[in-house]
Amino acid sequence: MEYFAGKYDVIVIGAGHAGCEAALAAARLGCETLLLTLNLDTIAHMPCNPSLGGPAKGHLVREIDALGGQMGVVADETSLQVKMLNTGKGPAVHALRIQSDKQAYQNRMRDVLLEQDRLTVIQGLVEHLVVDNSGLTGIVTRTGARFESENIVLTSGTYLRGKIIIGDSMYEGGPNGQIPAMNLSASLKEFGIELGRFKTGTPPRIHRQSVDYSKFRIQPGDDIPWRFSFLATESQFWHKDTSKQVACWLGYTANQTHEIIRENLYRAPLYSGKIEGIGPRYCPSIEDKVVRFASREAHQIFLEPEGWQSDELYVAGLSTSMPEDVQVKILKSIPGLEHVRMLRQGYAIEYDYVLPHQLSLGLEVRQLPGLFTAGQINGTSGYEEAAAQGLMAGINAARRVLGKDPFVLRRSDGYLGVLIDDLVTKGVKEPYRLLTSRAEYRLVLRQDNADLRLTEKGHAVGLVNEERWKRFQAKKEDFQHILGLWKSTVFSPLREDLQQVMVEAKSTPTRGGISAQDLIRRPEITIVHLVRLLPELGNFDLEVLEEAEIETKYAGYIEKQWIEIEKFSKLESRSLNNNLDYEKIRGLSTEGRQRLMEVKPLNVGQASRITGVSPADISVLLVYLEQQRRGWK
Amino acid sequence: MDDTIVAMATAKGEAGIHIIRLSGLKAGAIIEDCFKPQNKERWLTRENYTLNLGVFHDEGKVLDQVLVGRMLTPYSYTGEDVFEINCHGGPFVAQRILQACISHGANLAEPGEFSKRAFLNGKLDLVQAEAVIDLISSRTETSANLALTQLSGGLSDTIIKLREEVLEILAFIEASIDFPEDDVENLDRETLESKIDKALVDTKNLLDGSKTGKILREGLLTVIVGRPNVGKSSLLNSLLHEERAIVTDIPGTTRDIIRESVSVGGILLQLMDTAGICETEDFVERLGIERTWNALKTAELILLVVQANIPLTEDEYHILKTYAAKVIVIVNKIDLMDDDYHIVKLNQKGSWIPFSVIQHKGFQELEVEIRNRVFQGEAVLESDPLLSNVRQISSLEHCYTALSQALLSIQNGLPWDILSIDIRQALQYVSEITGHNVQETLLDDIFSRFCIGK
Repeated sequence: MEYFAGKYDVIVIGAGHAGCEAALAAARLGCETLLLTLNLDTIAHMPCNPSLGGPAKGHLVREIDALGGQMGVVADETSLQVKMLNTGKGPAVHALRIQSDKQAYQNRMRDVLLEQDRLTVIQGLVEHLVVDNSGLTGIVTRTGARFESENIVLTSGTYLRGKIIIGDSMYEGGPNGQIPAMNLSASLKEFGIELGRFKTGTPPRIHRQSVDYSKFRIQPGDDIPWRFSFLATESQFWHKDTSKQVACWLGYTANQTHEIIRENLYRAPLYSGKIEGIGPRYCPSIEDKVVRFASREAHQIFLEPEGWQSDELYVAGLSTSMPEDVQVKILKSIPGLEHVRMLRQGYAIEYDYVLPHQLSLGLEVRQLPGLFTAGQINGTSGYEEAAAQGLMAGINAARRVLGKDPFVLRRSDGYLGVLIDDLVTKGVKEPYRLLTSRAEYRLVLRQDNADLRLTEKGHAVGLVNEERWKRFQAKKEDFQHILGLWKSTVFSPLREDLQQVMVEAKSTPTRGGISAQDLIRRPEITIVHLVRLLPELGNFDLEVLEEAEIETKYAGYIEKQWIEIEKFSKLESRSLNNNLDYEKIRGLSTEGRQRLMEVKPLNVGQASRITGVSPADISVLLVYLEQQRRGWK
Repeated sequence: MDDTIVAMATAKGEAGIHIIRLSGLKAGAIIEDCFKPQNKERWLTRENYTLNLGVFHDEGKVLDQVLVGRMLTPYSYTGEDVFEINCHGGPFVAQRILQACISHGANLAEPGEFSKRAFLNGKLDLVQAEAVIDLISSRTETSANLALTQLSGGLSDTIIKLREEVLEILAFIEASIDFPEDDVENLDRETLESKIDKALVDTKNLLDGSKTGKILREGLLTVIVGRPNVGKSSLLNSLLHEERAIVTDIPGTTRDIIRESVSVGGILLQLMDTAGICETEDFVERLGIERTWNALKTAELILLVVQANIPLTEDEYHILKTYAAKVIVIVNKIDLMDDDYHIVKLNQKGSWIPFSVIQHKGFQELEVEIRNRVFQGEAVLESDPLLSNVRQISSLEHCYTALSQALLSIQNGLPWDILSIDIRQALQYVSEITGHNVQETLLDDIFSRFCIGK
C-alpha cells in the first residue's frame, strides 16, 4: 500500500560518504532535504580500511574541505594517528593519511546530519523511482512511503544487487552484513540507464589480543598534528607522544601462506568463474597477488586498528574471497599470527554500477534530468572519491532547485575536476581510484594550496561559512605578505648567521648580498633556515610559510604548468553543441564517432580525452568546426 | 571530399608502365564509361582486389590496352572506391588517360590528397600518414625507400623501444609516488640518473640519424659557382638533361640564381646556378655577384667549377679556403688538355674531380663523392631507421630537451614530482610519434610491473 510521505526539494538515497556530503550540501544551500538510509546505525560507515587520505585521496579531502564539505572536519575530530606521506618526493605529492576511529567517525557524522537545519534523516529501503510525463517526481520505499521530489541524488554505493562471495558460499547482501537493494537496478534500467557490474573485496578482521607483535614492526604516526581541514579542528584521540598513539604494524606473508593459497586455488571464486564483476587492479586479493607475482617471496601485511577501543584489527594486504577455512589457514601461516582469532571473514562483493559516461560533468544522468548519481554507484572506489562526488552532486541538485547552472570544476582546478572528468569522459573499466598521476597539472594541484584554489569557488557557491572565509582571507594576506617580505629583504654577506646557514646546508656561499627570495629558491635551503635569518617569519603559520616556500622555490615549473593550462583552455573553450550529429561528420573513425555520441562532450578539450577518440578525430572535429565557422555545410 | 580525384601514381618521365589512380564516389562510373573489360562476366561480379585486362577508350577512341585494379570502399587505400589503371603506352598515353578521367568528371588530385583522404577516413595512423606524405613528396629513389621503411615498421620499432625506456622511468617514479607504502622497488637516484642518461643517448642517436634523413627527403642546398664561362650552366644542364639556364659563350649571361632539383646518385640536389664571379663595373652584373656570395654562405654543398688549363683566381682560392668542408672542385674542360690537366692543388682541401661536360666525363665520380659526403663514408643501409619528417624530428628534439632537463634536475637534487614533469613531457613527445596514449599505457605499465595493493 503506497502513501504520500512528504515532498522535498532534494532527496538523497544512501547515507554513505557520498550521501552524507550530498545531503549536507543541499540542506546548507537552502533546500529542504531528505536523506534515506538502509540503516541509521551505519551512516558514514567504513566497510574497508579504517583510514582516510594518502596520495590524491588526501588531496581530495582537502578540496572537499576547502569547498565547505564535511569529511575533513569529521576525519580530524576522530583521527587516531596522522602521517604525512611522500615528504621526500616533492611538494606536489605530500599526502596526509590518517587512521580513523571508525565508530567515532560514524557517530560524529550522524550527529552532524541530525543537527543540520532543513535536513531530515529517515531509515528506509528505496524500491523504485517515480517518473511521469513531466519527468522524475519521486521515489517509493519498500514500506510504501512515496516521497516526492524532482531532484534525487542516488548514492547507493555497492548495495545495488549486492552479492557477497566467500569461497563456495554466495548470497545477496550489502557490505559488512547489511541488506542489499535488489530492486532499484531494475527501476534504473527501466528508464534506459545502462548498468555494469564490478567487484571489490575486503580482508578479514582479527582480534588484537591474538597477535604476537614481536614478529611485526611498529608503524608510528607523525608527532605533528597534521589536519585535513583548514578549520584546524582538534582530534579527540590524537596524542603528540607517538608511543601513546594507537599503532599500526607491518608484517609479511610466508612461503607457507603462498602454498596454502596455491593448493586451494581451485576453491577460489576468483578463478572458478563465480565472480563475474571486474575488480580493481590496484587492490588485488592476496590470491591474485600470489598468482600474478609468483616469484615474490613475501607480501606486505599491515595491521590497522579499527578504533580507540575496538578489539578489531584490519589486515591490510590480505583482501580475499577464499573459503572461510582457507582464510583461517592463511592468517595462521603469517609469522606473528599463529594463534590468531579471526573475527570477521574477508569477502568479495559484486554490485551494479551506472556507466558514468551517461552523466554530465555536473553528475546528472543525461537521460533522466533531475537524477544525480555519486560515489561507488558511478564505478569509483574509496571513501574520499565518494565524498567528493557526493559534495558536487549535492551542490548541483541544489543548484537545479535554485535554477542555477551546474557547478563544474576543471582538471586544472582540482583533483575533484580530474575525478569527474575522468569518469564522464573516459568511463571506467575497473573500479576507479584517483591517483596523482592522473592529474596533468600536479604541481599546481597541491594539498597545501587546496584552500587557495577552491575556497573562493566554494564561497561563490554558498557553502563556505564565515569562519572558513575569515581564515582563508587571513591566510591569503599572510601569504602575500611573506612573498613581499622575501622580495624586499636582502641579507648582507657579512652576516655570520647567513654564512653559518650556508655551510650547514652545503650551499654555495655568496659574495654579494642575497635576497630572502633568492635564498629560498636554492633547493638545499629550507624554511627552517630562513626563519633563523628572518625571525619575524616566526609570527606566521608553518603551513603558510611552506606554501610560500613551494611557490617560490618551484616558481619556474609552476609557471610552466600554468602556461600549459592556458594553452589547453583554448581547446576547452571550443564548445561542442549538445545536439551535434556526429553521424554527419565525415572522416571520424567509427570508434571515435561512437564514443563521441555516447559521451557528448562539452568541448573539444573534453573530446580529446575520450578513450577511442584519436588525434585524427580531433583534427577532423576541428576542421569540421572551422567549416561550420566559415558557413560551409 | 565529395568529388572524385585522379592523378598519376607513378613518376613522370619515361617508364615501362604508368599507373593512374582514381578515387571517390564517381570512380566506378568513370571506369564504366571508359573501360571495356575483356572478361565481361568476371568484371560484372564486382569482385574486390582484382586486376582486369581490357582497353581504355575515350568516347570510343581506344587509347591503350590496360590492367584495371579494383579496390572498393572501405577496403582501399583512401577508404573510397579506388581504381588503378596500369598502362604501357608511354607518358603521352598516360596523360591522355588522365585527361579522359578528368573529362568524365574527376578532378586532378592536389599533392597528398589521396593520403589526406586516407588519413581522414581513418585508414592511416599518424606515423603512416606522415610517411605516406613523405613518400609522395620524395622525388628520389633513396628517399622513397626511407618512407617505405617507416611504413613497414623499422622506424616504429626503434622509437617504440625508446618510448618503453622512458615509460619505465616514469612508471617507477609514479608508482613510488602513488603507492608509497606498497612493495614498489625503490629506485635510487643513481640508477634513475643512469636510466635517464641512456634514454638521452638513444634519443641523440635517433636524432643524428634523422639529419641524414632530412637530407634524403629535402635534398641538399647546392650552389654551382665559378668564373664566367667556365661551364657552370652546361654542367647544370647536363645534370638536368634539359635547357633551363641560358647557355652562351658571352661571359655573364646567367644573371639570376635559378633553382632546380636534380637527383645525383640518389641524393636530391636543390641547385642554385649563380652568376660568374669576377670584378665588374656593370651594375646588373654586380647584383648577381653579390647574390652569389650570399648563396655560398647558405649552401650545404658548393660545386666550384674551375677550368683545367687556367690557374686558380683569387676568388676561387677564397671560396676553397672559406668553405673547404662543403666544396667539391669540378675541374672542367679536361678535354682541352693534351694529356693530364695540370692545376697546382697548393695543399688545398676539398675533393677534386676531373670533368668534361662536353665529353660526359666525371659524372660518375661526382655521384660517388656526393653520396659519400651525405653518408659520411658509410654505405647507405636502406633498412636503417632514419627519421625523415620535420614534425617527427621536432617531437624527438623536444623529447631530447625534456630528458636533458630531467637529467639536470636529478643532478641538482630536485624532488621526484618535479622530475616527473620532464620525464612525462619526454614520454608525451615520443608518444606523439608512435600515437600511444600516455595516461592509459602508464597505468597499465605500473600495474603489470609492480605488485600493488595494500
